[in-house]
Amino acid sequence: MDFTLSPEQLLIKDSVARFAAGEHAGRDHWPTFAELGWLAIGAPDDLGGFGGPLETLLLMEQFGRGLVVSPYVSQVVLAGTILRTTGNTELLGRLVEGEDRVAVAYEEPHARYDPARVATTAVRDGDDYVLTGTKVRVLDPATAKTLIVSARTGDEITLFALPSDAPNVVHERFAAEDGYDAGNVRLNGVRAGASSIVGQPGEGLAPLELGLDHATAALCAEGLGLMSTMLEATVEYTKQRQQFGVPIGSFQALQHRMAEMFIELELARSMAYLAAMTLGEERDPLARRRGISAAKVQVAKSGRFVGQNAIQLHGGIGMSEEYKVGHYFKRMTIVERLLGDADFHLARYLAARGVAAKTEVPAGVA
Amino acid sequence: MDLAFSPEERAFRDEVREFIATHLPPDVRRKVQAGDPLVKDDYARWHRILHERGWVAPGWPVEHDGTGWGPIERHIFLEEISYGWAPRLLPFGLHMVAPVIIEFGNDEQRARYLPKIHSGEEFWCQGYSEPGAGSDLASLQTSAVREGDEYVVNGTKTWITAAQWADWIFVLARTERAPKKQDGISFILVDMKTPGVTVRPIETIDGGREINEVHLENARVPVANRVGGEGEGWNIAKFLLEHERTGTAGIAGCRQQIEALHELLAHEKIDDRRLQERVAQVEIELEALAFTELRTLAAESAGKRPGPESSILKIKGTEIQQAISELALDALGPYAEPHLAKKYFNYRKTSIYAGSNEIQKNIIAKRILKL
Repeated sequence: MDFTLSPEQLLIKDSVARFAAGEHAGRDHWPTFAELGWLAIGAPDDLGGFGGPLETLLLMEQFGRGLVVSPYVSQVVLAGTILRTTGNTELLGRLVEGEDRVAVAYEEPHARYDPARVATTAVRDGDDYVLTGTKVRVLDPATAKTLIVSARTGDEITLFALPSDAPNVVHERFAAEDGYDAGNVRLNGVRAGASSIVGQPGEGLAPLELGLDHATAALCAEGLGLMSTMLEATVEYTKQRQQFGVPIGSFQALQHRMAEMFIELELARSMAYLAAMTLGEERDPLARRRGISAAKVQVAKSGRFVGQNAIQLHGGIGMSEEYKVGHYFKRMTIVERLLGDADFHLARYLAARGVAAKTEVPAGVA
Repeated sequence: MDLAFSPEERAFRDEVREFIATHLPPDVRRKVQAGDPLVKDDYARWHRILHERGWVAPGWPVEHDGTGWGPIERHIFLEEISYGWAPRLLPFGLHMVAPVIIEFGNDEQRARYLPKIHSGEEFWCQGYSEPGAGSDLASLQTSAVREGDEYVVNGTKTWITAAQWADWIFVLARTERAPKKQDGISFILVDMKTPGVTVRPIETIDGGREINEVHLENARVPVANRVGGEGEGWNIAKFLLEHERTGTAGIAGCRQQIEALHELLAHEKIDDRRLQERVAQVEIELEALAFTELRTLAAESAGKRPGPESSILKIKGTEIQQAISELALDALGPYAEPHLAKKYFNYRKTSIYAGSNEIQKNIIAKRILKL
């Protein structure tokens, strides 16, 4: 049993940490990411890929620590996983090189995070399909050349890869609280050839869920980084801020609060790692679902606690836009709810547990 | 980074599991499974069985008949004890006074006390807390005044588990009045049969009598019973606190309790969604804590000293234990099975003993966050 990082993993962690600690705000860094090989994490070897969920965790934790705003989760982890699992090596290859950027449009109004609730239709017309429907909260569509869209073909769900600027694709952008690019996408009778199907017709849900699980694990890792910085900033601040003649960090009520924040962080850390390790053995979908959902529940809970208390313990300046803690808090607030909030994942965990076999006492493999 | 246990570790787990399944007396298993209180003889029988197998002292050095296990094997052993519904032996002799005698005692003391702790022939209890000294243990007032080659010990110790069964008690007593309260404390072994030593049971809110007050009134104790130097008691107490931090989270036990809770809900045909969600939340937190424990175990295995991270395990482990006991009661309503209510009442102690959770938070704040 060994939790140490390999030299390669340490290298990734350190190089991402250096990037994240530098001046990165307000610019798109995709060419840099491509050059550094970070777009290839989790991709197959023959496409120049390396590593897997653990390496993604190491990168995302550092992104979280430095509040790096980037489409990495949506365009590399989510899209990349879908393309990898459906064997779409051509598009994946271009993604890894940074030549094509892919966003995923799966969520629908009233679906409340559930990827299976799809009303967008893809109706057969000769050799083509015609897609009609609305996708909401699409992550990072502005920089994407290609959109992967889920639509109903009969009773099943099929994934289609469309040019983001295809005729009858209408984008509605909105400004997100965390500085990210997000938008709704209307498909007003968009024509897609049969060759644009990602994976097999009628078999879109499983790859989409796998992608969402990988992306959720990545968000858990980002949450870890966000929480770490918020806690560190809070501890530092309370050591320096004096009131009543003493540092406020000497007050027991605050000490206990920060101890509780630390505990929450450690629990979240454990779950983020557990999520990454669960993905590494993705044989049983139910076990995977259960592990990822459990992780998101914990990270959401911990993130909320750490974030709210970080603001609280900073007092007035915690509320100012100028100070960094508020920005971390805002991103954490979004991360809590992206791709499924705690309630959604708790229900998913229950469903997976109910259907899965009764918990076995471990026979030596944790 | 590798989460799995090695083949050797898995084989060890199987061996322990098999042994417990075949050697734990069935009546003891039934009691543990039902959550019924154990009597001295239950502990004594299981102690003898483990002693005969050579497995009774996992933490002791091999030269004193320890098992020679590393942290992972000790962890596996404790897990299997829980999974097999075996009792955890009382720690006071095996895991508290024995390591102290080994580390700080002299050869005569090691020869006199260790074998009978190992065999289970002598039971021990811990004389630390006093009515006026709980979290602030250093403010203890029990005195040990030297007269020739004896100490005359006077004071009251309280909250003592299993004093009613104990042959010996180890006592922190003041051998000297010093300006700093941590100074002048000594670690003294007292025979419970010493004239002047009386035990009074304390009934707890669950109706049990597992704890006691012990009064020492002019109890004469040989100076040879002092372990370590005069005034070294506080150091020894600190050593014990560091040393005793194994398995404080009780994760395996919690897993058992959650399983039992699921069975209870199924048996009573309770499908209340809200309750299911609350159970799921506790389960999730338990898995997070279990993994946290594995991380600290891996660090310990790699040579890192157990440290203040164990405070996390103590705080969260006890909160989870309490939450599970609470959920069982919530599941069945008021006037439900008496033993569920008793367990809930009894478990309020877990956030108080072994260093209250508030003290544990102080430790995290001071030693990890450096506040």
